[in-house]
Amino acid sequence: MSENAPVISAVDLVKEFGPVRALDDLNLSIAPGEVHGFLGPNGAGKSTTMRVLLGLLRPDSGTIRLFGRDPWRDAVELHRRLAYVPGDVELWPNLTGGEAIDVFLRLRSRGTGRAFDPTRRDELIERFDLDPRKKTRTYSKGNRQKVALIAALAAEVDLLLLDEPTAGLDPLMEAVFQEVIHEAKAAGRSVLLSSHILSQVEALSDRISIIRSGNIVESGTLSELRHMTRTTIEVQTESPADELASVSFVHAFHTEGSPSTGERSVFEVDGDHVGEVMQRLAGLGVHSIVAHPPTLEQLLMRHYGDDLSARGVSTSTQKKVS
Amino acid sequence: MSTTVSTTQHTPSPAARQATLSGTGTLLRFMIRRDRIRTTAWVLGIGLMGFYFAHAVQVVAESQEELLSVSGMYADPVGRMMVGPGFGMEEPTHERFYSGGYALFIYILTALFSAFTVVRHTRSEEQTGRAELVRANVVGRHATLTAALILTVAANLVTAGLVFAGAASAEYSLTGSALVASGSLAVGLFFASAAAVSSQLSESSRGASAMAGAMLGLAYVIRMGGDMAEVGGNALSWFSPLAWAQQTAPYVEDRWWPLALPVGFAVVLTALGFWLSTKRDVAASLIPVRLGRSRARPSLGTPAGLAAHTLRGGLRGWGIALLLTALMFGAFAQTMVDAADTLPEEMGQMFAGEDMMLGYLAYMALFMAVFVGAAGVSGLQQLRGEESRGRAEYALSAPVSRLGWLGAHLGVLLAGLLLILAVVGVGMGLGAMASLEEDGGRWFGELFLAAVLQAPAVFAVVGIVTALLGWLPRLAAPVGWVLIGFAGVMASFGSLLELPEAVTELNLYGHLSEYPVEEIAWTPVLVLSGIGIAGLVLGLLGWTRREVNRV
Ligand SMILES: Nc1ncnc2c1ncn2[C@@H]1O[C@H](COP(=O)(O)OP(=O)(O)O)[C@@H](O)[C@H]1O
Ligand SMILES: [Mg+2]
Repeated sequence: MSENAPVISAVDLVKEFGPVRALDDLNLSIAPGEVHGFLGPNGAGKSTTMRVLLGLLRPDSGTIRLFGRDPWRDAVELHRRLAYVPGDVELWPNLTGGEAIDVFLRLRSRGTGRAFDPTRRDELIERFDLDPRKKTRTYSKGNRQKVALIAALAAEVDLLLLDEPTAGLDPLMEAVFQEVIHEAKAAGRSVLLSSHILSQVEALSDRISIIRSGNIVESGTLSELRHMTRTTIEVQTESPADELASVSFVHAFHTEGSPSTGERSVFEVDGDHVGEVMQRLAGLGVHSIVAHPPTLEQLLMRHYGDDLSARGVSTSTQKKVS
Repeated sequence: MSTTVSTTQHTPSPAARQATLSGTGTLLRFMIRRDRIRTTAWVLGIGLMGFYFAHAVQVVAESQEELLSVSGMYADPVGRMMVGPGFGMEEPTHERFYSGGYALFIYILTALFSAFTVVRHTRSEEQTGRAELVRANVVGRHATLTAALILTVAANLVTAGLVFAGAASAEYSLTGSALVASGSLAVGLFFASAAAVSSQLSESSRGASAMAGAMLGLAYVIRMGGDMAEVGGNALSWFSPLAWAQQTAPYVEDRWWPLALPVGFAVVLTALGFWLSTKRDVAASLIPVRLGRSRARPSLGTPAGLAAHTLRGGLRGWGIALLLTALMFGAFAQTMVDAADTLPEEMGQMFAGEDMMLGYLAYMALFMAVFVGAAGVSGLQQLRGEESRGRAEYALSAPVSRLGWLGAHLGVLLAGLLLILAVVGVGMGLGAMASLEEDGGRWFGELFLAAVLQAPAVFAVVGIVTALLGWLPRLAAPVGWVLIGFAGVMASFGSLLELPEAVTELNLYGHLSEYPVEEIAWTPVLVLSGIGIAGLVLGLLGWTRREVNRV
């Protein structure tokens, strides 16, 4: 396998559970050292993808390769090189958190001839503020997740498969999580990080894939994705900017404030027409202007928009006009 | 909604009682909805069984002669040990035969139903965290337990009604029939309230069910000792809720007052359950949580270590319960010898050999082995639980092969079961040695061997269930329990059922020779072991081929 061959490569994966098509021609590729955000709403197929990657489920069709090998056939060999944090961490209730972590580290170091290094483990326990002497059945979801995260991050592996790893963590711990993922990246590890929490993926990922109903609808770096989407502009102008409302690449136009304080217009512009809008605004006398890059909510809205409109809900984000 | 919550919660004393119960009705409806099939199946099942027993005895023993000969077995010590104190068996009628021989099985099922239902709606709910959701709504502190008890009592009332109707439809005396039905109700109340207490004591639903189950087992074993000793039972028979129901002597003496005992205890235990529940937080238990080690022992970090950790608790529980039962069975040996001396010759023929004592021992070994098989099925069911709860998936994400994972668990389970069989043998042996006036040492050896020789039957059960675990995992536990239940029924009153041979052949426990009455026969040993090995191989093969936790 050459240096830059993808760590994960999935081509046209299909997985059906009876009538449910959990994966529908899914394509995914992750390069070595990349942190890849795997974004999608509940039921989109994120966990199913993870379980196919682990060789726990067998795809109905399509090919999947981890480090160039088949995860169903070569599970044990591949698992030496990866660590997994399940979406719903269930631990053995009579083990303490510390014991549960050690079980995984020891299972990993078996057969490698080297004992695991407890310093990294202890450091992570400290940083995640976990009491390792409590039985896991007394842990909250967040604490069980910490156990799985520490067990995964303390391991010497090339790939981390993290299924919604911070769903139960408080904001402080989420910050710790971001730090340790940056460290993992610095150490050259690849990470597949699934989430429906957008800010998290945004902050950590080199590339992002958006999954919806088992299919990747969008994939690329954040800036590539932004290019395909809309920029939000808030502007205060001398004369009213109302004329923009009817322009085809301007969306969700509305105005706020009163003539006395100056009129403020808020709207979205398709990514590739920002320049044109700027020229038009210049002629209106701009007092102040703020432009926001699209948030991941907006990225998603674009893909779920047709679902929503099908249900008769307006896809416009213009909701707050009072 | 939120306003009513805060006001009711902060209102002091006068309304407090009502507040702790608010939401009971809603919860009850919710429980009934959730349980509509399960509860209906239990109630109808028990009712039908009562109906079947009441009518079947008239078919099994049509003439007075036949009646005399079949009820003879319930009059002698081993028969009494299995089914009850044997009231009126010297002058048997169909109704006496029905209540003396079969009512106990109705009582046992009622007890199981009641205990499981209460645990299911209280502790299991808390364990899964659903209780917190419910309680965050307008639900008083005592509402869950109250609703669970109401549901259980109501189901028990219907069951009792059906049991009464079943007996009455067979034209049995109404008073006696009402006593049998009331006995079933009283036993149900007792075990529902016992479960209300155990649910407070243990943190897991498995623990709570196990505690209630152990209590039922103990009740059974105690009445075995009492009823075996004398016709009508001795003092021991007054220490078991199952025996209390039987002491009403339906269709013979027709006395109501023994039912005051289970009902009285039910009231006290229910009050205790409510009181205990105020002494703890939601999802916490009264048995305090201790801190453990922060580092794992090296042995834990291997598939076998993990398997041992997972299965150890359950195996230990079965082991202790079965050791105590074995000691007790062993200790009944002298009673058996004494009773045999006083029995008419032909009674002894009921047993496989002319020597009552040998027959008793062979029978005990078989009976205990059925329970060891139950421990095996329960262990395999636990493995299925490891899978469906996602722990198997998580463990397999480490470099552990599927073969290694299941192989390790099966290895631990089989070693544990063999150890339990040996412990059961030692227990029966020690009990017999302690009680027997002559030849205690010889019996020790015989009993130990008799228990261990049952291993192939247990192995075959484990093999079959493992094969299903590999290929049709959803069937594994149900089939396993059917195998065990069938073996239990055949061991208890198989000879009475007059089933066709093709059916009795299906009893995995029916093939081994009855050591020490008979010589050891090697063919069944080999065949059963072959079934066991084939099942294990098939199961491992299926497990490495099928997807993990594909519901
Ligand atoms: N074992 C299973 N059996 C049947 N359906 C399943 C199973 N696992 C997942 N699904 C279905 O597949 C779809 C994708 O689920 P999942 O991968 O868990 O989504 P996500 O992790 O993105 O929330 C859902 O519709 C889910 O109901
Ligand atoms: Mg998921």
